[in-house]
Amino acid sequence: MSQWLILLQKELLENVRNFKWIWVPLVFIILAIQQPITMYYMPQILESVGGLPEGAVFDFPVPSAEEVLATSLTQYNSLGVLIIVLITMGVIAAERKSGVAAMILVKPVSYTSFVTSKWFSVLLLVWASYFIGYLGAWYYTGVLFEFVSFSIFMQSFLMYGVWLTFVLTFTVFLNTFLKSSGLIAFISLGSIIIMSLISSILSNALSWSPALLGGYVTEFIMFAQMPDGAVISMVVSIAVIGIMLLLSVLLFRKNELAE
Amino acid sequence: MDVISNTMWLMIIPLILIQLILMVVSIFDIVRNEQTNGPKWVWVLVVIFINLIGPILYFILGRRND
Repeated sequence: MSQWLILLQKELLENVRNFKWIWVPLVFIILAIQQPITMYYMPQILESVGGLPEGAVFDFPVPSAEEVLATSLTQYNSLGVLIIVLITMGVIAAERKSGVAAMILVKPVSYTSFVTSKWFSVLLLVWASYFIGYLGAWYYTGVLFEFVSFSIFMQSFLMYGVWLTFVLTFTVFLNTFLKSSGLIAFISLGSIIIMSLISSILSNALSWSPALLGGYVTEFIMFAQMPDGAVISMVVSIAVIGIMLLLSVLLFRKNELAE
Repeated sequence: MDVISNTMWLMIIPLILIQLILMVVSIFDIVRNEQTNGPKWVWVLVVIFINLIGPILYFILGRRND
């Protein structure tokens, strides 16, 4: 345990030094809070950009607070996932390439600690950034529109967090047997896109698919009740996350011993 | 531009501030690091002129970790 904590500390320190602890939270904040602002000022923005015919009257329906909060969360569906994959793509692969991993593993460090400490350091970074960003969106939505109840905020936060964790764990998993970070990012994003596509086309048959969590969370925020399939989808995601983590350790051990 | 009211500025200032912090941190890092992937002056221009995406690109692609 103490060994694991030391490895985790090393990872956290590294992420402070390469500024990840500064830029990732800031980018997550921007992604989330720009949504309530643009939605609130949409009429003024259109007015000042101009180009509307003389005398044109637009009645913009004012979006509900729930709708605004849900759209800010969906910002993480594309750019958020992209950033998570990009910051995770080299987490183990780069160290194996440069030989740092071999140097650490020569010492009596267990493979399990090595992989899980890396996984946990990214997990902490992503969850912290995601929480600050989403909290910002919740606050802005409250000030500009109406406050959505905090329990709905927390539940949707946890629910969508499961999907982000899934993405992160999948990328770490690819790290244990692929060596090029570019290839890892490509395969990871490709699989996520294909998974989302298939799940949304066959959403009835695949209602347990982790890729549907993004849709479920929107539904949950709008109607304040758990959609069918959301719970099972979360359970499946958490189970798959556990399996991938286990496989990561096994594959990593096998590949490192083979060298 | 009188449609932009005071409250609007109040809402937007945090956004601008965050972008500025990102820009300053990346430029600080570009200057401090011995080497970047690609010429330093290009990265400075990218960070200054491409909003939000510029600093992200630098931190992901431009930084040398070793």
